[in-house]
Amino acid sequence: MKKVIRKNNQIIIPSSQLYLAKVDSFVEGKLKKLKLNKNQLADVAISVTEAVNNAIVHGNKKDPEKKVTLRLACDKSCICIEVEDEGKGFDLNTLPCPITEENLLKEVGRGIFIVRSLMDKVDFIFKPEGGTIVRLTKYFKNKE
Amino acid sequence: MKLTTREDKGIVILEPKGKIMGGPDATLLHDKLHELISQGKKKVVIDLAKVDWMNSTGLGILISGLTTMRNNGGELKLANVTEKIQSLLTITKLITVFETFESVDQAVGSFN
Repeated sequence: MKKVIRKNNQIIIPSSQLYLAKVDSFVEGKLKKLKLNKNQLADVAISVTEAVNNAIVHGNKKDPEKKVTLRLACDKSCICIEVEDEGKGFDLNTLPCPITEENLLKEVGRGIFIVRSLMDKVDFIFKPEGGTIVRLTKYFKNKE
Repeated sequence: MKLTTREDKGIVILEPKGKIMGGPDATLLHDKLHELISQGKKKVVIDLAKVDWMNSTGLGILISGLTTMRNNGGELKLANVTEKIQSLLTITKLITVFETFESVDQAVGSFN
């Protein structure tokens, strides 16, 4: 797959970081219509780029034949974004803690830690047939 | 992300603008920092005033720049850290690693 597919609240991209900005732009366009304050918008946008980047690099191993799918949904109380890859999944329990002294100066390994800090809820769904879905939820609270 | 460079009193000031999220724009900042080292310019301030936000890739680039500068006898400092980036630095405890200043002038002055 070599191109980006946009359909309503869904965008599908090839497994390349070249498309990160397109995903950010797509999500930003959708978020503008919601009642999120500037800080909440940044939290969601940062988390989306983390999840998509992980899907591209760690999930799909940058395989150009594999795609990353992002879906948005929202109701009166929250926005929910799912990022799905076609990889083999991973063990959440083996992720190193990025704030320990030995890991503090490492250039990578903070993505999921940051997502968990910025979003209200983060779920990982490891599909039995392969593929991982990261579900990010942000509640519409403390509007400024 | 756009990146401009200027110098003040022998200190290189990098001014990224936009979002630092990975991909080609992140490479721009990374490559610039390494280019400066190859030119013997080892005192650098990154002015973050116009950076909307960055993700872990952006933080990784800052760390790479910091460690590379320090390993070559230089230093990298941050100025005008926005509230959102300050929050990320705090969450990740990187606030304990970087020297941050409220203005570029203060950061430049701290080298002397």
